[in-house]
Amino acid sequence: MNEKKQTTRALGRHIVQSPPEVSFCAGCSACEIVCSLVHDGVVGHAYSRIFVNKGTRSMVSTIYSCQHCLDHPCYEACPRKDQAMCLDENGIVYINEEHCIGCKRCIKACVFDPPRINYVHSKDKTKRKAKKCDLCRTRPEGPACIEFCQVSCLGLSKSENSD
Amino acid sequence: MAELYGYVGKIARINLTDQTVSIIPTTNYVPKYIGGRSIANKIFWDEVGPGVKAFDPENKIIYMTGPTTATGIPTGGRTVFTTISPNSLPEQYAWSGIGGDFGAEVKFAGFDGFIIEGKAKEPTYLFIEDGDIKFLSARNLWGKLVHATQSKLEEIHGQDVKSVVIGPAGENLVRNASVTTSNDNVAAKAGLGAVFGSKNLKAITVRGRGTVIPANIPKVLELRKKMAEPSMAPRPVVHETHHGIPGTEKPVPGGWKRAQVACSYGCNQHCMCLMLGMKSAFGEEKVNHVEKCVSIVAFGFEEDVPYGGPGGPGGIFQTEQNHYLACKLLSREVDPPDTSDPYFEQQFTPGPGDVLNFWKHDFEKGSVINDLCNEYGIDKWDVLIWLLPWLSMGKKEGVFDEIDLGMEIDVESEEFIKHLMDIIVYRKGYYGDLLAEGMARAIRVLGKEKFGDTIYHGRYSRQINKRLDLPISLETAWGHSVHWQGRGFEASIAKPAWVATNLHQMTSTRDTQTIQHHHDTFENYLELKDDPCRSPLTAQAVIMGENKAEIKDSVTCCDWQSPNLFWPDMEAQMFEAATGIPMTEEELNIAAERSRLLFRAITIRNYGRARELEVNAIFPIMQYPDPWGETVTWEEWNDLVDLYYEQRGYDKETGWPTRATYEKYGLKDVADELEALGKLPPAKK
Repeated sequence: MNEKKQTTRALGRHIVQSPPEVSFCAGCSACEIVCSLVHDGVVGHAYSRIFVNKGTRSMVSTIYSCQHCLDHPCYEACPRKDQAMCLDENGIVYINEEHCIGCKRCIKACVFDPPRINYVHSKDKTKRKAKKCDLCRTRPEGPACIEFCQVSCLGLSKSENSD
Repeated sequence: MAELYGYVGKIARINLTDQTVSIIPTTNYVPKYIGGRSIANKIFWDEVGPGVKAFDPENKIIYMTGPTTATGIPTGGRTVFTTISPNSLPEQYAWSGIGGDFGAEVKFAGFDGFIIEGKAKEPTYLFIEDGDIKFLSARNLWGKLVHATQSKLEEIHGQDVKSVVIGPAGENLVRNASVTTSNDNVAAKAGLGAVFGSKNLKAITVRGRGTVIPANIPKVLELRKKMAEPSMAPRPVVHETHHGIPGTEKPVPGGWKRAQVACSYGCNQHCMCLMLGMKSAFGEEKVNHVEKCVSIVAFGFEEDVPYGGPGGPGGIFQTEQNHYLACKLLSREVDPPDTSDPYFEQQFTPGPGDVLNFWKHDFEKGSVINDLCNEYGIDKWDVLIWLLPWLSMGKKEGVFDEIDLGMEIDVESEEFIKHLMDIIVYRKGYYGDLLAEGMARAIRVLGKEKFGDTIYHGRYSRQINKRLDLPISLETAWGHSVHWQGRGFEASIAKPAWVATNLHQMTSTRDTQTIQHHHDTFENYLELKDDPCRSPLTAQAVIMGENKAEIKDSVTCCDWQSPNLFWPDMEAQMFEAATGIPMTEEELNIAAERSRLLFRAITIRNYGRARELEVNAIFPIMQYPDPWGETVTWEEWNDLVDLYYEQRGYDKETGWPTRATYEKYGLKDVADELEALGKLPPAKK
């Protein structure tokens, strides 16, 4: 995986992975698991808004998550903007799944490779939904992935555009 | 059907002979058999009778996850294989646990487990994707090393698949071959890789897009923070200057880099030491590999693990203030002991381990040995604790003077070890083929008196400053090598502990300490220490350890987080959080007793297990002195066996469970079958 589509762009506060000299990702998938648990009450790859790319041979893991682009192309691409893909008062783009029609336009609009928006496939078209990091905006404790990272290798970027 | 929590509801019966699949509802077994090894024991009892050999198509590979697997409950990523072990002597039903991400992926694909039967006509691998199981040709994989196989499968099916694979050792039916998944996790203790090979099964590759639903999410999150009290602190890559068993470290020229990784999907710990940029046995490119436990001695084996007192370093006899699990020490995860503990002075009395002088410290050679085991897919324990010490000791005692292995026997030489592993894994020449049969069988062919029982004169106890006897073959019961048994490797535990670990081993069919390291309270230690074989507390602690092992392999949980003597219903809480089925510590213990009874019944029905057989299997190793010069007498040992059988509800004369015991745990049908075979003890008036 690489970030070939990524251009230099303005980013909002987002989840960042520490460099290995600060903390080495243990590859436990806790971040993926608690993400899907607190949002959807299930554990499953398609439901995580954060992704751990593990090297089977190297055992080195890289974390991917939404960078919260300030120009939010995913939000702009949504045919149900402000109903399905919404923008809150803090500038966080989140998905109101009740209105998401699973069209994947947000995923195609994501400038990162791999895209940072996940997708639940289903034979039932009404159950096809996009899944995107919302920084656990309604959770008093903040992002669950950070809270439950056993090696504290995840954090929130300190300010816009920082790592 | 009501919504199923924890479990996903299906077990696949996969027949390699005719390439068919049928589905069994998991509810046929649960919740009476709680998951994992308990279900596997029930399936094996029902489906595999006496007379089946390990490499027969009639042998089965049963793979089971647990209800906590992929629920987010820590340690639930551990899963278990069972089969007839070709590495046990005699071949017997055994199990082998494995971590990694494979088990979670199996559940995401819609299965709680598999029963793999028959034998494929040609090299085959299984590709499982969201409920669909395909039989694919493994012609292009056969012969590949472990990591090359994993890479090829990811190249074919995508990087997100999870696989279990065998290497050349399994293909060539080397009896201690392992099965490997991600993070260098292996199922190594039952020769499972060779059973895969005997069925022409190279790998199982899985992709699952489904979900697993735990019943109680707040409880899952609570357990994530509470189990084993994770430090939740940054763990940077560390530049180390030394390496070795804690307390015996040696300098490493240029140093090395260490990180920590988790063993299995969703664990809240990072027990495994990741060694970065290590020397490979197969090319110039540096590799990363995991040092989990025994691999530490590959780098140097001049002296044994130090003694720490009854409370440490193995954490055998514990207080609430000072308790931790054995292998956490090797992963450098243990905080210093709490000196305010009133028992501190009695608990911790450090002292050096025995001088053994098997081989000198050589960091690069150690890396090559571990890489050879990883890539060939062979049990490191057998290589590092049995094969190489045997060659080291035997060479010094002159027993190999007439043996030509194609190179001079020299365990200090990297080239010799590469040559040795090559002739064994590919069964080259008479001796390569013989050693591929495993140490226990090879030594019997060569002649046990000379090649097994010759005394090594290089062992020196620093506890009593005296040379002590050690046989050149570190064999314990059932064709396995010593593990925490008072002599050989990790021998620095005193008699009150090693009589217990040997009792664990006596009733097993394979090395048992990997999933049931012995633990008891320090208060009990004070009661039993002066005559451990005559204390009911010793037997009681062994039974607790055995039952906890059944629970760990069934719920599932891990030997590095359980048992927690001061949180005894931890596993019941895990089960209940996953499934929503109310469960108390007592009820879970009943389920464990039932699973254990089935295992006992299998060994009695299929392999003739009885008191005389198992006492005679374990007794010889305890006739060699521990580091204090202690052994056990025939009378002492039999008194302990009496206490154990009595507490278990077994007949003391035969070692067979009574009808009342089977019926107490809902196994009347098992008692009836054994009675018909004449393997139920007569009812006492």
